[in-house]
Amino acid sequence: MSRGHLLLSALLWAVVALFVIYPLSFLMVESFKIAGTSRYGLQNYIDFFKDTYYLKTFANTLLLGFLVLATTTLFGLPLAYILARYRLKGKVLFTALILLPIVLPAYAGAFALIVLFGKMGTINLLLLDWGVVSKPVNFIFGLHGLVFIQSLHLLPFIVLSLSAGFTNIDPSLEEAAEVEGARGFKRFLTVSLPLCSPNYLAGAVIVFLWPFTDWLTPLIFGLQDFLPSTAYINIAYHFTDMHRKYMGIVSVVISSIVCVGIFLASKYWVERRKYTALSKGTTLEGRIIEPSIVIRVASYAYMFFIGLLVLLIPIVLGLSAFSRRWVLQPIPSYWTLDNFRLIFLETPMLLKNSFLFSVVALIFGVCFGLPSAYLITRTKVPGKEALDFVITLMLAFPGIAVGVSYLLAFWEGIPLATHWIIMPLSLFVRRLPYFLRMAHASYLQLDVSLEEASEVSGAGKLRTFFNISLPLLLKGVFVGLVMFFIMAFQEISTAIFLYRGGWETLPIGIYLNWHRGMEFGIAGAMAFLMIVIIFILLIIVARIGGGILGAAWGSSGGRY
Amino acid sequence: MAFIKIENLFKRFGRTVAVNHIYLEVKKGEILTLLGPSGCGKTTTLRCIAGLEKPDEGDVLIDGQPMFSQGFVPPSQRGIGMVFQNYAVWPHLRVFDNVAYGLKLQKLPREEIKERVKTILAAVGLEGLEGRYPGQLSGGQQQRVSLARALVRNPKVLLLDEPLSNLDAKLREKMRFEIKSIVRRMNITSVYVTHDQAEAMVLSDRIAVMDAGNIVQVGAPEEIYKRPANRFVADFVGTTNFIAGEVSDILKEGNRVYVRTEFGQRMLCKVFDSTMAVTGQKVHVSIRPEDIEIAEDTAPKGDNLFRGRIEHRAYLGNFLYFFVNVDHTLIRVQTAYDVPQREGDELFLFLDPEKCVALL
Repeated sequence: MSRGHLLLSALLWAVVALFVIYPLSFLMVESFKIAGTSRYGLQNYIDFFKDTYYLKTFANTLLLGFLVLATTTLFGLPLAYILARYRLKGKVLFTALILLPIVLPAYAGAFALIVLFGKMGTINLLLLDWGVVSKPVNFIFGLHGLVFIQSLHLLPFIVLSLSAGFTNIDPSLEEAAEVEGARGFKRFLTVSLPLCSPNYLAGAVIVFLWPFTDWLTPLIFGLQDFLPSTAYINIAYHFTDMHRKYMGIVSVVISSIVCVGIFLASKYWVERRKYTALSKGTTLEGRIIEPSIVIRVASYAYMFFIGLLVLLIPIVLGLSAFSRRWVLQPIPSYWTLDNFRLIFLETPMLLKNSFLFSVVALIFGVCFGLPSAYLITRTKVPGKEALDFVITLMLAFPGIAVGVSYLLAFWEGIPLATHWIIMPLSLFVRRLPYFLRMAHASYLQLDVSLEEASEVSGAGKLRTFFNISLPLLLKGVFVGLVMFFIMAFQEISTAIFLYRGGWETLPIGIYLNWHRGMEFGIAGAMAFLMIVIIFILLIIVARIGGGILGAAWGSSGGRY
Repeated sequence: MAFIKIENLFKRFGRTVAVNHIYLEVKKGEILTLLGPSGCGKTTTLRCIAGLEKPDEGDVLIDGQPMFSQGFVPPSQRGIGMVFQNYAVWPHLRVFDNVAYGLKLQKLPREEIKERVKTILAAVGLEGLEGRYPGQLSGGQQQRVSLARALVRNPKVLLLDEPLSNLDAKLREKMRFEIKSIVRRMNITSVYVTHDQAEAMVLSDRIAVMDAGNIVQVGAPEEIYKRPANRFVADFVGTTNFIAGEVSDILKEGNRVYVRTEFGQRMLCKVFDSTMAVTGQKVHVSIRPEDIEIAEDTAPKGDNLFRGRIEHRAYLGNFLYFFVNVDHTLIRVQTAYDVPQREGDELFLFLDPEKCVALL
C-alpha cells in the first residue's frame, strides 16, 4: 500500500462525503425538524404513521411495486427464455429493440399512450366511429394504466437479467436433468429457473423499487396517492406550509429506507446463494436449442407482440412530432416541421443544456469512476469495501431523494445551487454506480499480470495505467461512457427540483410543454429527438460490445 | 451379444464432420472406452447414445430398441445414467436431492428413495454428506455425487464423458479403479470417453480408438498396445519410436519382412497386414522404448543390432530414458535406472524383431 493509493482514497472519500453523504444526511436531519419551532424530534414520523392518508399512499406504492413486478415477470419470463435458448434469426436486432424502453424516459411513454389510449385518443375515436362503443372506454387512467406503462418501461430489466441468467447456466446442468428423466417444463421448473434466481432477483429489485422513484408517471395518469408523488407535491408546492414540506421529506426518507433495505436484503440473499463456479470450458453463448416449427412460430409471434408494444411509443411520438393540432383525430392530418423549427431555432438552449450537462456529468463520472474502479479492484487500501458499498447504495436511492437533498443541502447549506454546475453534479451523483460498475467489470477481466509485466519492465503505476490498463479497458470504458451519457441525458426526477430559468434540459422541456397542456406537438418532437439521439448511441454500444451491457444492470453473476 | 449397437452413425456440425459413418457394438456388461484426441468425435458419439445430440444419419440401438430411426427416444426415456465432464451437479440442490432427483421423478415412495440414495452414497464413499451443498464439496466429492446420481436408478447403460479430466493426477488414478470396481459390481454396460490412454487401459474391457470421426481400431487394451492397426494408434496409445523405411525382402516364414531403414541398415520386423508385404512399400516401423535392449557385447552379430551414441539421458526415478542417436535418427530407449552408461557413450541397441511392427 503506497502513499499515492492513500491519497487517492482520501480524495475519492472527500468527493463521496461532500456530494453523497453530506446532502443525504442533511435530508435526514431536515426530516426531524418540527414545523414552527426550532426543535427536532420524531413528531413528523409519528404523524406519518398515524395519518391514514400517508399509510394508504405507502400501501399503494407497495401494491404498485408488486403488480408491476408480477406483470413484467409474467411477460418477461417467456421472452427471456426464448432469447436465451432458441436459435432464431433476428434475435440480436430484437434484443436491441427491447432495450428501447429503458433508455426512453418513462413519462415520454406515458404521454404517447395517452394520445393512443386516452379518452379521446386514437383507439377510442376509432371505436366510436365504428360504433363499437357509445362512449369512450377508460383504457389507461387509473392503476391499470400505471401498471401497464411502468411494466412496459421496466420489462427490459427483467428480460435482460433473466436471459443473462439462462445463458449463464452450464448446458450440462440441463442435460443432466434430461438424462435423469425430467423433460421440458419439469426440467425448467426444477433446474433452469432455480439456477437463475440470483439473476432474477437483481432485475426484480430494480423493477419493484421503481414506483418508489417515479413520481411523475402517476401524476400524468391523474393519480397522486403514491409515496414519491405525494412527496413531490408536498415539497414543490407547499413551501409556505412547513409541516407539509417536512412530511414530504419524511416520505422521501421512508422511500429511501425501503429502497435501501430491500436492495441490501436482496444483495445479501444473492451473495449467499451465489453458486460457486464448478465448471470450466463451457461455451460462452450457453445452451442453444434448435426450436421445433411450432415453438419457432410461437416465439416469433410472441416477439412480434412485445415488439409492437415497445414500438408503439416511438411511433406515436413520431406522428405527433411531425404534426400540429392532433386533437380529436385518429391520426394527425396537418403535417409540419414547425415543431423542430421551434426546438432548433427558437429554443436551442434546451438541446445545448442537455448536451452540456450530460457531458460535464460524464467527465465527473470518468474522473471519479476510473480511479475508484482501480482502487477497488487493484489495491488493498483500507476502507475500499466501504467506498464500494456507499457507491453501490446509490443504485437504490430514489432520484427524488437525490433531488430533494441537493435542493436542501446546496441551497440552505452550502450555496452551490445558484450555479448551473449543480445540474451536472446531481446527474453525476444520481448515476454514480453506473460508470463505476462498467469500469469495475472491465477491470476484473483484465489480467493483473499484464500490468505487473509493465511494472517489472520499469514503468511506474501511473504510466502503467495510461500505457497498459487504459488502452485495454477502453472498450468497456467506452460502453460505460455511452450508457452513462444516455442515462444522464434522460434524467428528470432529480433535475426537476434543481433547475432554474435558463437551465432547462430536453426532458424538462418535454414535461413543461405537456404541463402547459396544449403543446403536445412540441413535447412529442422533443421526445422523438431524444429517441433518435439515444437510439444512435445504443447502436454504437451494441456494435462495440453488447456483452458488457449485462454488468450495467447489476445482473452479472458468476457462471455456474 | 450386442447390447448397444451403433449403425452407420454420421453427424456434422456446419462443415466439420464430427462422426463419419461409424459402426460399433458394446456387449452386455462390458466397459468400452472411446479413446482419441480432442475433436475426434468420441464425445459426439457418446452424446448420440445419450440422445443429447441427434445424428444426421444412422441409428443407435439400445437393447434392440432403435433410438432414432423409429421416432426419437428422448434421453429421459432411454434408461441411461450419465456422468458429465464437469460433473453437472446442480449447485442449488443438496447432495441428497441431487442423487434423489431421478427417483423423485419416478414417484417412488419416500422411504425407498431414502434407502436407495443411502446405499448408493455409501457405495461411492459419501456417507454423511447428504445435507451438503455441492459448493461445500471438493472436486473429487462432486464427481462421486455425479456418479451416484447416474447409478441410483439402476440404468441399463452408464455413459461417462471424461469424468476424471478435471481431477488432479493422484485422485484421477485412484478414481479409475473405484469407478471400475463399482461398475463391475453393478454389472452395468458402460461407455467411457477419454483422451487419456492410461485411463483407457486400466478401465476398459475393450477400447475403440477414434481419429477424425472414424473408429480406427477396436480391441482389448493389450491388443491395441501390442498390435496397433496403424501409426496413429501406435503413437496415441503409449510411447513409441517410428523408424521410416521401405520393405526390401519378404520372408517365407510367417509374416516377417526386412525393411531398409532411413539410416541405411536392414531391419527385421513383423507385418500384421499382409497387403503391406510388398517390396518397395514405404512403411514406418514402430518399436516401444521398453522393447529395446542395450547389448552387452562390444561388437555383437545378428539382425536388428544398431550402433549409436547417447545424446540425452533422462532420469525418471524407477527407470531411465536414453535418447540414442543412430545415424541421425533419435531412438528412445527405456532401461533400468542403474545402468552405467552416460551421455556421449557409444553402445549397441537390440530391437527385438518380434516387437518391431511395420505400419503404414
